[in-house]
Amino acid sequence: MSGTLVVSTSLADALAALASGARPVAGGTDLVVGARQGKKPLPDSIVAIHQLPELRTLTTEGGGVRLGSLTTHGEIVAHAGIRERYTALADASSIVGSHATRAHGTIGGNVMTASPAMDTGGPLLCLDASLVLQSLSGTRTVSINEFFLGPGRTIAEPDELLVAVELPEIAGQIGSCYVRLEYRRQMEIAVAGATAFVRVEGDKIVEARIAITALAPTIHRVATAESLLVGTTGSRADADAAAKAAAAAATPISDVRGSADYRTAMAAVIVRRAIEGALSRARGVEVAIPATSSLQGTR
Amino acid sequence: MTQATKDTTTYPTPVSAIRSDGKEKVMGTGRYTADLTLTGQLYAAFRYADHPHARLLRVDTTKAKALPGVVAVVTHADVPEVLYGGMVQDRYLFAKDTVRFEGDIIAGVAATTEAIARSAAALIEVEYEVLPAITDFEAAMNADSPLVHPGWAEYSRNDDVGSTGNTMGYSTIVKGDADAAMAGADVVVKGRYVTDPVQGVPIEPRAVLAQWSGDKVTVWTSTQVPYAARSGVALTMGIPESNVRVIVPLLGGGFGAKCDFHFEGHVAALARASRRPVKLVFSRKEEFFAVGHRREGMVLEFETGAKKDGTLVSRRARLVLDKGAYCGEGGFFAQMAAMHACGPYKIENIHVASFLNYSNNQPSSSIRAPTAPQVCWALEQHMDALASALGMDPVDLRRKTLVDEGDEGPTRQVFDRVGLKETLERAVELIGYGKELPDDEAIGVASGWWPCFAVPSGAYVKMNPDGTGTIVTGAQENGSGAVMAMPQFVAEELGMRAEDFSILYQDTDAAPWDMGSSGSQTTFNSVRAVLDATADVRNQLIAAAADLLEAAPEDLELVSGNVQVKGTPTKNVAIATLTAGGTFHGRGSGPLPDSPPVQAEGCVGRLGNESFLAPQFFTHAVRVKVDRDTGVVRVLQVAAGHDSGRILNPTGAAGQIYGGIVMGIGQAISEGTMLDDVGRQRNPGLLDYKLVTCSDAPQMDIAWVEIDTPNAGPRGSKGIGEPPCVPTAGAVANAIAKVIGQPVTHLPMTPERVWAQANTSNGAQS
Repeated sequence: MSGTLVVSTSLADALAALASGARPVAGGTDLVVGARQGKKPLPDSIVAIHQLPELRTLTTEGGGVRLGSLTTHGEIVAHAGIRERYTALADASSIVGSHATRAHGTIGGNVMTASPAMDTGGPLLCLDASLVLQSLSGTRTVSINEFFLGPGRTIAEPDELLVAVELPEIAGQIGSCYVRLEYRRQMEIAVAGATAFVRVEGDKIVEARIAITALAPTIHRVATAESLLVGTTGSRADADAAAKAAAAAATPISDVRGSADYRTAMAAVIVRRAIEGALSRARGVEVAIPATSSLQGTR
Repeated sequence: MTQATKDTTTYPTPVSAIRSDGKEKVMGTGRYTADLTLTGQLYAAFRYADHPHARLLRVDTTKAKALPGVVAVVTHADVPEVLYGGMVQDRYLFAKDTVRFEGDIIAGVAATTEAIARSAAALIEVEYEVLPAITDFEAAMNADSPLVHPGWAEYSRNDDVGSTGNTMGYSTIVKGDADAAMAGADVVVKGRYVTDPVQGVPIEPRAVLAQWSGDKVTVWTSTQVPYAARSGVALTMGIPESNVRVIVPLLGGGFGAKCDFHFEGHVAALARASRRPVKLVFSRKEEFFAVGHRREGMVLEFETGAKKDGTLVSRRARLVLDKGAYCGEGGFFAQMAAMHACGPYKIENIHVASFLNYSNNQPSSSIRAPTAPQVCWALEQHMDALASALGMDPVDLRRKTLVDEGDEGPTRQVFDRVGLKETLERAVELIGYGKELPDDEAIGVASGWWPCFAVPSGAYVKMNPDGTGTIVTGAQENGSGAVMAMPQFVAEELGMRAEDFSILYQDTDAAPWDMGSSGSQTTFNSVRAVLDATADVRNQLIAAAADLLEAAPEDLELVSGNVQVKGTPTKNVAIATLTAGGTFHGRGSGPLPDSPPVQAEGCVGRLGNESFLAPQFFTHAVRVKVDRDTGVVRVLQVAAGHDSGRILNPTGAAGQIYGGIVMGIGQAISEGTMLDDVGRQRNPGLLDYKLVTCSDAPQMDIAWVEIDTPNAGPRGSKGIGEPPCVPTAGAVANAIAKVIGQPVTHLPMTPERVWAQANTSNGAQS
């Protein structure tokens, strides 16, 4: 094994390294652990980007939030603005891996690994995040809704670095919630996950976004479920109907974590819980972060 | 009953000793085997079987040997032709002509780097004739099943183990006439239960470092049983035990999984072939699939007949245990499981048949309280099913049927005073059994027992010229801290301070033979030996002081670092004065307690466990919350009642309970090795083999029931290491069954299994 590791001291250096074939590492919680497990060997050429302060920023801009790609899960969870208006993301970041993972793992790494089970994916989809990709040839901003192509595959070019995740301003009376089915409270990966975002006016839901996690080759939104919810009051029956539609859109696999049948059945349960959680938050009823443990056992 | 029973015999007041190896472990300065490096050291890697069951047609190491950096490649052809194993000697270090599970080792490589060693192992060319993999260990005993060991009859073995074909061990417990009594019972219940295999998962992966000097070898290894490792190396290398020295640096946990001789022989063979020190460090994946040590899967069938008032009249059981590919040290499992199928219950008529079957799965050997957690889980659910059939509260049924003083065990062992019923009362009291609970919560209860093992041990206590002392013991530390408590005991006997004593241990050249850290026996046997050696040195000190003080030895006592005349403390001599002028060194073993007499003439496969010496008893009461929609179970509270005799070190003992409960919860709801069609592990890693985490740990409360037992260990103690993980899963199961209305009969009771059960016809669909 004769790989090279270069620690870049400027973004330009990092982009140049990527252009010449290096792969980036930030927290290393996916790359290093995956290599140790024999999932995927370490790339021959690695450029470490963890010392680039310009990527480790978390700023509120024009009503939205801009997260530098090195923002850690721990920093996300601690951010009052995210907890308040982008709550589903705080739900997700607060349960990624372990305490150590959350201290070292970054939002950029989570997104670029593009696991169908990644916790932050559903919240970013439902919060309409944009991703800022930069290479030597320039910068482009893409919607996360068109970003994921399959497990571990995205539309990013090999020489592009994810430099920021942008969350747009959200107006109105809204709430969001991410829930996953988990077997233990730490060191866990979603067996199935669901995100819901709702905007309410009066007692009616006027906008709904629902995404499912670990239930298809990529995390994706479910339009049929969303449209069922819009115009309703979000009663138990309304939430159930939308959840069943989301479950119908699931195409899960059977693996050591659960059978496809179980996952499909669980999709209906956790989507319903995510909707209820989002709706509660939109209506000012507190659902503690992370919602996964708060809602455990809710019926 | 609101207070712990305590007898009146006086012993020194228990001291909660802070373990002396704790700081270096917590601070990260401790040195484990993998941390050691010797000059010129090479790295080892193994070539494992590519098929769980296959005949070897050709093994060609040419390409591996040609790889730059490779110094030695060793196969069966390069080592003595020796079969090893516990009760059945059925395994070679390196596969000879057949591989029998996915972790079977075909060759070892020693190279200048670990990466080269692993690359070279992959370059070894192996041609196989693939054989059908026998993964269904119940079907393995069918007459038409292919044999895992076609040459089984030729193996050397313990004649009592009861081998036939794929059934490596067979054992029965027979008492009275079970059939006739069953026919006369008012109520009969039956149940069938299945358990998945479970791993020990010590946090430190195995590591072995071997270095030869002439015809002697020193092996540093992560073992719980250094003396067994020594005899294994001697046997497989064809050298006497006096030419093998085994040293254990800090051990990072074992949970039984590091019992037995394991890879010390392979590494010694590589070091001999390469004439260099060789180090092996396992990956986490190897730690799962390649170790010949896991808790076995079982199929358990119970039938129990009772009178209307709950009196148990008959028990029949058929147990099938998965031995996996090789015997290892787990040859006694059939009998141990059979004893647990009877449980600590009053039953006049019993017929239990227990089969320990070979398969092409990973070998099973001791994991903390081998066989007991699975059998207890099944039996205690079966007892709750009986309570339900009788219309009795499960706790009331146990009150009526658990053994007490004067009752007879399964082999008519007569019990002295035992604290079993009190463990039940204390556990249900602590958890508030019967209180109002939310409808998704319930409390379950399970009881059980576990023997103490009387095994020889030996120790020296030597005094140093400055008045300090050194304890030389064969005991091995495995995380329990039992060894760490020895200075306290010695100091108390000699009127000195614990910090006056150091411990020399985990080195087979230093101390007499010891069984090692297994069988909850460190305090029971090793401390007995240490106390005996202490008495020896105490007598020597008194004899010397008697001369100096011109006093009769019986008039002297050891207090505060002095030998003094009773009643005249000013007439004294300092121990340090005595030790400055002469050598004082005690040795001892102490008398082995006798096992209780039994009437087991009708039983076969008798391997010694038909008699439970100084049995430990326990009851766990567990409160769970079940998410009916998902099947996710949270264990909220565990109350643990334990009769482990006198508690000598409350902090250490409580640590064993806490750890055992958490291990028991893992076994209950999340830990299980999954296999594919040919017996390969599907989840050999920490993400998908789900240990429970600190965040999942429940509230835990302990009630000690301290009752003096004849034939107990030092100062009225019994073992404590293994039992805490035995009853938890059964109690969790009974609690789950209360919430969802029916039992989950497959262990672990994963969310998917609980959900499936909750959503069958009469389950509580939400």
